[in-house]
Amino acid sequence: MMLESFGAILTFAAELEALDRAFYEAAAQNPSCEGEKELFASFSRESAKGEKTALRVRRENVTEMILEPIKDFSSDAFTCDRGTPMEADCGSILATARALEGKALSFYDEASIRIKALSEVARALKSLAKKRKARIKKLDELPS
Amino acid sequence: MPVPVMKNYIQGEWVDAATETFGDVWCPAAGEKIAQVPYSTVEDVNRAVEAAKEAFPEWRETPPLTRARYLFRLRDLFEEHFEDIARTLVTEQGKAIDESRGEVRRMIENVEHATGVTTLMTGYCLEDIAKGIDCAAEPQPVGVFGGIAPYNFPAMVPWWFMPYALVSGNTYVLKPSEQVPMTQTRIFEVLDELDLPEGVVNLVHGSRDVVNGMLDHPDIQGISFVGSTPTARYIYERCGATGKRAQALGGAKNAVVVMSDADLEAGLPSLITSFFGCSGQRCLSGSILVPVGDRADDIVAAFRAAAERVKVGDGLDESVNMGPVVSEAHRQRVLGYIEKGMAEGAELILDGRDCTVEGYPNGFFVGPTIFDHVKPDMTIAREEIFGPVVSVVRADDLDDAIDLINTRGFANAACLYTTHGGTAREFKYRVKPSMIGINIGIAAPMSFFPFGGAGDSMFGNTKGHGQEIFQFFTDKKVVISRWF
Repeated sequence: MMLESFGAILTFAAELEALDRAFYEAAAQNPSCEGEKELFASFSRESAKGEKTALRVRRENVTEMILEPIKDFSSDAFTCDRGTPMEADCGSILATARALEGKALSFYDEASIRIKALSEVARALKSLAKKRKARIKKLDELPS
Repeated sequence: MPVPVMKNYIQGEWVDAATETFGDVWCPAAGEKIAQVPYSTVEDVNRAVEAAKEAFPEWRETPPLTRARYLFRLRDLFEEHFEDIARTLVTEQGKAIDESRGEVRRMIENVEHATGVTTLMTGYCLEDIAKGIDCAAEPQPVGVFGGIAPYNFPAMVPWWFMPYALVSGNTYVLKPSEQVPMTQTRIFEVLDELDLPEGVVNLVHGSRDVVNGMLDHPDIQGISFVGSTPTARYIYERCGATGKRAQALGGAKNAVVVMSDADLEAGLPSLITSFFGCSGQRCLSGSILVPVGDRADDIVAAFRAAAERVKVGDGLDESVNMGPVVSEAHRQRVLGYIEKGMAEGAELILDGRDCTVEGYPNGFFVGPTIFDHVKPDMTIAREEIFGPVVSVVRADDLDDAIDLINTRGFANAACLYTTHGGTAREFKYRVKPSMIGINIGIAAPMSFFPFGGAGDSMFGNTKGHGQEIFQFFTDKKVVISRWF
């Protein structure tokens, strides 16, 4: 899907966070991931906040003065198959988690450049990117 | 399948109108009926005004800060219901969802601005105007005010006036456009959660009878109106005849001038939004594109190429840039202007007449349309079309462009794209319109600045929102006192 408007980008961000919230909530309940239960639960809570942030930013910063089209930005590169975290083994879940975090980070990095004209929005997107970077670090630090 | 029927909101209750006559409300994208609106009667107006009049004394005695606190809570309620209001608006009016969100944002900004009543409504005083005699000018609320709203901004425009009327101690009767009654109905459902004293705000749906009922009612102290120039003039004249205060904002024919030194790459997106945003249905829309000097061919070519990329469709689709126009009748009107332009010899370089949208065969769509080599005296350069139709009038120099702007009769807004400061200063100094954009395609003042044009675009001298709006809704009582 093309993300060629302010609203499309923020809506995608909200949907992304909602999908990740649900993914980690399910992963936290998977018995094979007992050791990562707390980590996944914290990621889920953080994504719940991320979804609210994206929706709030979409509400508060839409202004008709700067509703100009954005060119050549597609969601295709940032979509991810999250599988079935309730049933998968822990290794698969962790692999999926690393993949989706990487894509989310790429999305937020690029989106913050696309909407740089609205500094409050760009700042919020950078903040969401920073959280994803921190998550990637935590996933990388897990014992293999 | 039956559709919902709008009700009036009077004295804190949702009530049926005292009428047997109803109009249809349409979804412009689908071309389907989605609701019915009552054409209320003078009896309904009288009932609403009576409720507002009854509520006035107690509301007037409520401290301004307490009144402001209602607005603080209302702001939070509007944030909570933001997306729902925005989507309702798109469904009945047709604009793109981000445009609708932007409109709801502007509505909320007026509520926010109005909470500054404790500073903005203050008067002034002076001791010893003569020895031992003091004088104070104290703004006081006046009574019941009325609002008559247009179809193009069903959420925002009533709130250019209503929060200021209420927070300064007046009570209110609002008539939304009968073409788009659902948005304010939804908004009043939210307002109902606020638990204002009954009768402080009232909503009466309808058409001509409601307008005339409000104009004739002796207990309505003033009317705020936004709509076409002929109706604005009528309302202003009737208010004058009946001793009412009036602010009547009318139509427009806005020019957007692009100088040869303009940064076209940077400005093009906002130029497109200016002419085609909200399908051209706004009083700030660009209507005449004025390329100046020897770069005109390049400017027109770039503008046309960008216009061809505008995606037309259902406003609820986030990828859509431009929705339908509000009704089939209006679509025919816009098409009629396109025919007129061709008949008068303008060159049609982008034809939006046969615009179709897959999946929406009955929608009221008109695609981006551009006429080049338009002469200033052609119909399409003089009359308000209120659709996505651009008239390109080429100008030799800035004087030419300013002369074009100042001879339209309408004087709502004018925009200039340039990189030269001196050109910008001269432009804003000399043009008649009151809302000016410099490298801005839609010169929309924020809530804390006044909104309104001049000439045939504005009748009355107090504009919407801003600081002066409190003067419209108050009377300055001058008190001269001496104590023996």
